[in-house]
Amino acid sequence: MASKTFDTRKEVDFVVIGSGSAGGILAKELSTAGFSTVVLEQGPYRNAADFTHDEYSVLIQSELLGGGNDVHGQTFRHYEHETAGPPRDRITPIRYAPGVGGSSVHFTANFWRLRPVDFQERSLIGPISGTNFTDWPITYEELEPYYTRVDWEIGVSGAPGPFDAPRSKPFPMPPMPIKSSGVLMEKAAAELGWHAQPEPHAILSQPHNGRAGCVSCGYCMWFGCEAGAKSSTLVAMIPLAEASGNCEIRPESTVIRIDTDDRGRASEVVYLDRDGVEQAQKTKAVVLSANGAESARLLLMSASPQHPDGLANSSGFVGRNLMFNQHSLATGVYEHPLNDYKGVQVSRIIHDFYDTDEKRGFYGGGGIDARPLFSATPIFHALLGTDPNAPRWGKGYKDVLAHDFTRTLCFVGSNTSLAMDRNNVTLDPESKDASGRPAIRLTYMDHDDDLATAAFFEDRCAELHDAAGAMKMWRFGIRPNTGGEHLLGTCRMGNDPATSVVDSKHRSHDVPNLFICDGSSMVTSGRGQPTMTIMALAFRAADHIKAAAGAGEI
Amino acid sequence: MSPEDLSRRMFLKSSGALAGASYLRILAPGLAVIAQAACTARDAEAPFAVLGAEEARDFAAIAARIIPTTDTPGATEAGVIHFIDRAFGAEMSGQLEFARNSMTEFNNALRGKHGDTARLDELDEETQDDFLTSQEQTPLFNMVRTMTIFGFFAMEKYGGNKGKVGWDLLGFDGNHGPWTYPFGYYDAEVHGGTNDGE
Repeated sequence: MASKTFDTRKEVDFVVIGSGSAGGILAKELSTAGFSTVVLEQGPYRNAADFTHDEYSVLIQSELLGGGNDVHGQTFRHYEHETAGPPRDRITPIRYAPGVGGSSVHFTANFWRLRPVDFQERSLIGPISGTNFTDWPITYEELEPYYTRVDWEIGVSGAPGPFDAPRSKPFPMPPMPIKSSGVLMEKAAAELGWHAQPEPHAILSQPHNGRAGCVSCGYCMWFGCEAGAKSSTLVAMIPLAEASGNCEIRPESTVIRIDTDDRGRASEVVYLDRDGVEQAQKTKAVVLSANGAESARLLLMSASPQHPDGLANSSGFVGRNLMFNQHSLATGVYEHPLNDYKGVQVSRIIHDFYDTDEKRGFYGGGGIDARPLFSATPIFHALLGTDPNAPRWGKGYKDVLAHDFTRTLCFVGSNTSLAMDRNNVTLDPESKDASGRPAIRLTYMDHDDDLATAAFFEDRCAELHDAAGAMKMWRFGIRPNTGGEHLLGTCRMGNDPATSVVDSKHRSHDVPNLFICDGSSMVTSGRGQPTMTIMALAFRAADHIKAAAGAGEI
Repeated sequence: MSPEDLSRRMFLKSSGALAGASYLRILAPGLAVIAQAACTARDAEAPFAVLGAEEARDFAAIAARIIPTTDTPGATEAGVIHFIDRAFGAEMSGQLEFARNSMTEFNNALRGKHGDTARLDELDEETQDDFLTSQEQTPLFNMVRTMTIFGFFAMEKYGGNKGKVGWDLLGFDGNHGPWTYPFGYYDAEVHGGTNDGE
């Protein structure tokens, strides 16, 4: 069925900026509730048939990331007193997938809920100096029904674990089957007295909601799913939005500004169409869901005499408190082949170290998963996944490739990041992206506790390899982030307009008909798999926005 | 440090100066056509599209020592040189001049050591490897190493990995799937099957 189209000069009910994890859900929720909705998406509209297993194009040429930094023009520095410069290679510091469905298309689909502690950790353990560590304005109990909606409407497979937060309804389908890496993790965990549990996935383990189940091709991480089994908003939400007859998805539409009228209300969204021609869509209200970097950039780009520091930025918090999550890993090689490149990346995780433990002497926690990581595809393995102590060319290199590819397993720690002023997204004063927009300037230096937590988890990953009987093992040491994919905290929610950008219902404190919902809304970082929470927040935001619109309060 | 961030650092380290420059450009539309032409040229043993025959011989000689022919096929049998030739005409065209100049320097150094008419592939293997060890830190060596890996392991349509010999070396069953459990040795029992993983 042909998608509805709207005239740019006629006011629609909502413009949704971005079609990813949050935007795809908001578009579906608003349009199926009867509101006319235009979705502006900067990337292309790909479908399952457009996704390939072409590692050279997807991983090396960054096909799904819209290309490398020659396109994005981003700059990076660790501290504000430094001058930001381009990365030393072409891979862009802030990574996300422009395109319908956004990064829910190419993500690995590890899918953890937050827990009650994540929302109230500041109250539980007290302040941390030099940070903006604070409680969320909502609780787990308030978000739980929306996590459950994600489970059932987006499609989540899994099974309860020993430390899981309470859930109101079971998983709609069983977890993905265990792989050799999961068996080894279970064995090691049993030996160490820890608990391995099945990984929840935004991947269908069996047919659900008219979609097919996973075929275990192994191309999840950084690839689009050609089977439609990965629960992206592209396959789970966008078709429903378009079928409503109230929604137009407008791809290759790069938003450059949100304009406000003389009452200070958002009135139209200005964008470049696929030919680079400036267009403006009139609207009653704007939902900004462009991701934790792009939403902040757009608000800063929308500065005007009325809003000199950027739109919705009277607090100065737009772009601040960026949290990437820290990570750690240890790689092991085992006696027998695992062939871990087959199937989903992760089948077992360990959450014994989720909570902050004062005995460690620093804030933070996280989870550990077992996965092939670099050994899921040939080029990455040959470039990045081989034993650093082995030869890097010649017969010795070839022998290592032949032996280790099928026998390699990584334990990966995913950890907390603290919200800090110094970690932020701003507009680079000089660099532009290919569309002519001011490029994203990333300033980021992890908090010492984040680095300490990652080091703690690297030790646990190494212990797992020892307990699992690895023939050899190597690790990399923890280094500060110089970029990331988890884009969290930059328009945080809160009750105090002086220290937050949106209220607890995602309405911006400054602009009454501007709603912001994506990773930027998150107040704390969780333990490293944020997409489930971003989607739950989107379902919840949609309920509040629909109620407000229905009551004439927009 | 996320896995991708780590990979970025390691990629940088592994590919040396190659990564420092503009490096790879976005795949241009029509690359599939170029790629197909490269395969056709390879199969027909046709002349190279970008490199001259002597230049191609020099690049191929280095590639042949990075992934040597042993009891299994190496870079030579995989047709890595056809990947390199194609890439220099497409996504790596910006690196061609640098590569050519660096190859001249490489040959000057080689001839300074082994005589005015020396060619890498005419030396015995041990002497080749000794000389390449002396070049290991040069941008050229790292560029050719990275391109050899790309050519050996990328899909055949990019010119190399002929007959999927790169994937065979790894024990990678291919990029098609779907796969059925058990996948390996350690999950065989739980899935009620047997699998030695081989």
